[in-house]
Amino acid sequence: MNPPSNRMIELVHVQRDFRRADGQRVQAVVDVSFVIPEGQFVCLVGPSGCGKSTLLQMLAGLLPTSSGGIVVDDKEISGPGPERGVVFQKDSVFPWMRVIDNVEYGLKCRRVPAAERREIARSYLRQVGLSHVERAWPRELSGGMLKRVAIATVFANGGRVLMLDEPFSALDYVTRRQLQDVLLNLWSADKSGVRKTVLFVTHDVDEALALADRILVFRSGCQVDDIPVEKERPRSADSLLEPDMIAIKRKLLHHIGLDRPALPDAPAA
Amino acid sequence: MRAAGQRIRDRWISLGVLAAIALLWQALSILFPVEAVPGEPMIAGWQVMFSKTLLSMADYWQGGLGVPSVSEGAPRTYLAAILSLLSHSFDTIVRLVCGLALGGVVGLALGLAVSWSAWSRRLVDLPVQFLRTLPLLAMVPLFQLWFGTYFIGKVLFVAYGIGVIVFAGTVNAVRNVPQIYIDNARSLGASKAMMYRTVILPGILPEMRSTLLLSLGTGWGAVLGAEYLGAQSGLGYIIVYAGQFAYLDRMSLVAIIFIVATSISYRAAGALTARMLEWAPDSQRA
Amino acid sequence: MPEAAKSAVTSWAAADRSPPSAAAHRSNENAAPRVSGRLTLSLRSGIRAVDPLRFLGLIIFVLAWYALSFLFQPIILPPPQAVLFRLLADFWDAPNLSYYGVAEPNLYANLVYTAENVAIAVLCGAAIGVVSGLVSARVSIFRAIVDPIMTTAGTVPILVAAPFLLIWFGVGRASAVGLVIFYVTVIMYLFAQKAASNLNPIYEEFARTLGASPRRIIIDLLLPATVPEILGGLRIALAGAWGLEAISELLGSQEGMGKVLEVLAGATDPEGIMATLLLLGFVAISVDAVVAWAVARVTGWNAGLHSGGSQT
Repeated sequence: MNPPSNRMIELVHVQRDFRRADGQRVQAVVDVSFVIPEGQFVCLVGPSGCGKSTLLQMLAGLLPTSSGGIVVDDKEISGPGPERGVVFQKDSVFPWMRVIDNVEYGLKCRRVPAAERREIARSYLRQVGLSHVERAWPRELSGGMLKRVAIATVFANGGRVLMLDEPFSALDYVTRRQLQDVLLNLWSADKSGVRKTVLFVTHDVDEALALADRILVFRSGCQVDDIPVEKERPRSADSLLEPDMIAIKRKLLHHIGLDRPALPDAPAA
Repeated sequence: MRAAGQRIRDRWISLGVLAAIALLWQALSILFPVEAVPGEPMIAGWQVMFSKTLLSMADYWQGGLGVPSVSEGAPRTYLAAILSLLSHSFDTIVRLVCGLALGGVVGLALGLAVSWSAWSRRLVDLPVQFLRTLPLLAMVPLFQLWFGTYFIGKVLFVAYGIGVIVFAGTVNAVRNVPQIYIDNARSLGASKAMMYRTVILPGILPEMRSTLLLSLGTGWGAVLGAEYLGAQSGLGYIIVYAGQFAYLDRMSLVAIIFIVATSISYRAAGALTARMLEWAPDSQRA
Repeated sequence: MPEAAKSAVTSWAAADRSPPSAAAHRSNENAAPRVSGRLTLSLRSGIRAVDPLRFLGLIIFVLAWYALSFLFQPIILPPPQAVLFRLLADFWDAPNLSYYGVAEPNLYANLVYTAENVAIAVLCGAAIGVVSGLVSARVSIFRAIVDPIMTTAGTVPILVAAPFLLIWFGVGRASAVGLVIFYVTVIMYLFAQKAASNLNPIYEEFARTLGASPRRIIIDLLLPATVPEILGGLRIALAGAWGLEAISELLGSQEGMGKVLEVLAGATDPEGIMATLLLLGFVAISVDAVVAWAVARVTGWNAGLHSGGSQT
């Protein structure tokens, strides 16, 4: 068992350009570099269009960089893979497979024997509270339940890195809070030694404060801040109202541009 | 979403319309007792259809099964008529099914193979589009020239028509599989082959269902076309043969049988494929 | 107030367009761009639209044909250059056709005849089909009456209907065009009905809360909103109409591409048949490309809204 790596995820001068339909070049991600040690729960926060989702797609290996390198666990990445699990914003649960088959999918790809993968899948379904819908079709489930299936699937698949791209943004407030708890429970209950390294993209400042060990703030494709959050988890509503948390929140709101009164000629965020 | 009561009312109205059409037909046959050829009414009333016309179907029975053929001097009987209709329908259906199977399988396999890489898909795009535009029935003479009027020629013709549709439909369906499922599968560690088997194949089913129904329609048309221009049996053969003598009543009878057969086949195909799509949300199952 | 309703709804529909996602941009790397609403006439997008790989595919197809033609006699599989030369030669003057009773012995005149018929048939059929389709989506009694007629009639293959029409109405332009009008009507009816039924009721509700009258809703909302899907159906109907018209003429006509095909088939002239088919296919594809371009210009606001639908 290796000691926890200090440089689990490393980005070096990563850049990503797009060409719009009318031919113009757009820089979605501009010269981003950071290092994330193993086991850290990091939130990427920023307003819409700041490039955080693009960054996550590159980290997941679903999008190539225009320049710069991404190294995960000492290996330069070149495509998606099971060691970097992804929970997407939209529903990614395969509609043609029952819930339990979805959860075992990653294990099936790695040819884990049927009985063993069933057991693993069932255990994770239990942990997200969906044992009773094991044989259901995805179309029968609500949005929140589908997210739990997605989370269970990614955890069941193992992997040392977990990436989530605004996973709960399409859900209502209550479901969102419940799912945050589900995620934290699964993450901290990880029995395989060191916890997963998590990258969680969100535009919701409160969500970041509730979840993260560290918040990386983005604006217009650049990283503008790196804020550590040293608070015990689970973070109750009260702990979020303590002075140090409020200071962080104020900082975040300032970065997003929400702390200024909305004057007609105020510069946009 | 219409209320159940409204839907039942609409069903009755639809039945009423069909009944009205039947009555209209009868009325027209009485109003226009025009005859294309002496003894052959242009619009045959139902009483004629079920007596004289039905009996005349016996003419097409080649004999066998203990029922002698009219061409050898035997009288027209209802039994011979029924047998002849069954046998000709069978011939047509066999050609259709063989063509469907061959064209469907080859079209699907080639479509999947071509979709494997984006390069191959773009490579075959233009020729396939061109072939799709060519009117299928206009190519019957070509197929006749190449394969003669044998069974294999007709089956190949139907297979070609359906193969082109299924091929294009498969390539399109693979393109339309939502990218998120592909990304998800790759992120979970699926190899390309595994992804094809577990994501692409199930993912194209909803769209392939529409393609299947379209192929069915084309197939019926194609098999008729093949029979029109060189066949010794089949429903199309009867229509053409009767048409040459302006036996409109016979043509009408066979046309009705044909419509009934195609409707049944659409229903059956729809029901069978609906079973395969039990997982699909209602919007994709229509 | 009606103006407010109209502009509010159309701008709301336009705002529906989500910003391009990363995935969409990524897939642009490999695939040729789909027809986007703003097909600018700039050189860059023109070059992108003409995909070199697709042309390579066409060239390979022709080369394969050429190679195959060595394996067979010209009477079975004429080589591509022979077909092309025959097409060019016969375009203005094909004396052999006059032997077989074709009124105008050249491909051009027959092509024009067929094209005229297709135009008439598509225009008439679309007019009837679209109007009845739209009405049927909103007036359920109308739908209950017309639906069974359309669906039963639509399943009658043309080869079954054609002999009847020929014997009832004789050989001539009327029966040929009539058949095609019939099928175009059925297709457009189904498309219009589906387009109107699929229209998200939220637009209508929103318009009503802004005070739009039913007439305004039909003119400013229903018609423009269903236009993209209907135009899509029109393209499909048009593509099919060429073939249907050819068949109609083949079965009973004195002129037109179908008649030419029938005559050449009887004379066992595969080179001629292929030349005629080549011309017909080429014209159909060209017309389709023009229509596609026009449709994209007109329905620019729609790009991205109905993503993932079946496209050719």
